[in-house]
Amino acid sequence: MLKLDPIWQADVQQTNFRLLLDAMAYPGRRFTLHAVRNEGHAALSVLATLLDAEVTLSDPYDLLSSDDWPMLQAKATSADKADYVLCDASQLPKFFPKLGTLSDPEQSATLILKVNKLGKGEKTLKLSGPGIKNIEILTVAGLNTEWLSKRDDWVCAFPLGVDMILVDDQHVVALPRTTKVEVV
Amino acid sequence: MIQRTAWVSALKALPTNKLLALTTKLSEEWTLRPKLLPQSGLGMMKLKDSAFNEAFYLGEFPLATAWLEVTTPDGHKAEGAAQVMDDRVDVAEALALCDAVLSSQLPGWEKVYNLVEQGVALNEKTNGERKMMLARTKVDFSMLDNVGDENAEA
Repeated sequence: MLKLDPIWQADVQQTNFRLLLDAMAYPGRRFTLHAVRNEGHAALSVLATLLDAEVTLSDPYDLLSSDDWPMLQAKATSADKADYVLCDASQLPKFFPKLGTLSDPEQSATLILKVNKLGKGEKTLKLSGPGIKNIEILTVAGLNTEWLSKRDDWVCAFPLGVDMILVDDQHVVALPRTTKVEVV
Repeated sequence: MIQRTAWVSALKALPTNKLLALTTKLSEEWTLRPKLLPQSGLGMMKLKDSAFNEAFYLGEFPLATAWLEVTTPDGHKAEGAAQVMDDRVDVAEALALCDAVLSSQLPGWEKVYNLVEQGVALNEKTNGERKMMLARTKVDFSMLDNVGDENAEA
C-alpha cells in the first residue's frame, strides 16, 4: 500500500552497507551506490544506510529537507557534537568535528561530503596508506581543498580523527583516517 | 462519534483481511507518503520489582508503527499514525491510513467508521465474556466464617 523509496528498504540498505564497508577497506576506490535515482539522493542514501535513532546527525549546510529528518530518525545536534555530519564540500569547513578519545577513538565523527563529481574534475588526489597498494589516484570536482588541510589536522594524532565519505550523484569514495592524502 | 483513541483498538479487533481490503480500495487513487519510516520489531516491557525496586524486562512483544500523509486527487491532505502490538507493517500502515481518513473525514470515511463501530461492538462483547469468566472464578471466602474450627478442642 505504502510505496517506500528503495533507499529506505532493508535489502537496498544492506547492499549499500556492504558497499560502504568495501569503500572503507579500499580507500580512494570509487563504488556505485544502488537504487539512487536523482541528484542529491546519493548522500541521503548513504545516511539512510548508516543512521538510526541511536546516533546524532548535523546538517550545517542545510542540504537535507525537513521531510528527510523523521525518516532518518537520527537526533539533530551541532556539528561539533554529531556522530555524522553532512557537508557541502564546495564550501569551507566551518566546524570542528568530534575526534574521539584515546580510550574510545570510535566516538568520532564521520563526515559525508557532497562533491560534484568523483572520477573526474579539477582536483587530483594521491592517496596512500592501509588498503591501498602503492598509491591510488582520485580526481574530484567540487572539493574545496581546505577540507583536506583541515583533515590533516584532525587525523594527525592517530587513533583520533575523522573518517570521510565523499559522495557525488551516484558514487562514493571513502577516506578513512588512516589514509594519507596529497593534492597533486 | 467514537473517540479517536479507540479507533485503532476497534479496527484491530476485526479480521485483518477486511481492514486491508478496505484500505487498499480507498487508497487506490491517493498518494501515500511516509512521514516516518514504517517499522516492525520487538518492544521491551520494562518493570521494577517490588523488593529491590530494580528494573527488569518482563518480556518482548511485537510492535509496528506507521505515520503517513495522504493526498487525495483534489489536493486534500491528511495525516494519520498508528502504533500496534503486531509484527506486520502493512497492518500498522492500514490503521494509520484509517486514522487519517477518519480524522479528516476523507472520502469513504463512513465505511471506515462503520468498521470502527463493528470493532467497538466486538471489543465490548469480548470484554463482557471476559468479565463473566472472571466472575465465575470468584471465590466467596465469607462462607468460611460460618464453619467452626473442626480441630478446635471442645
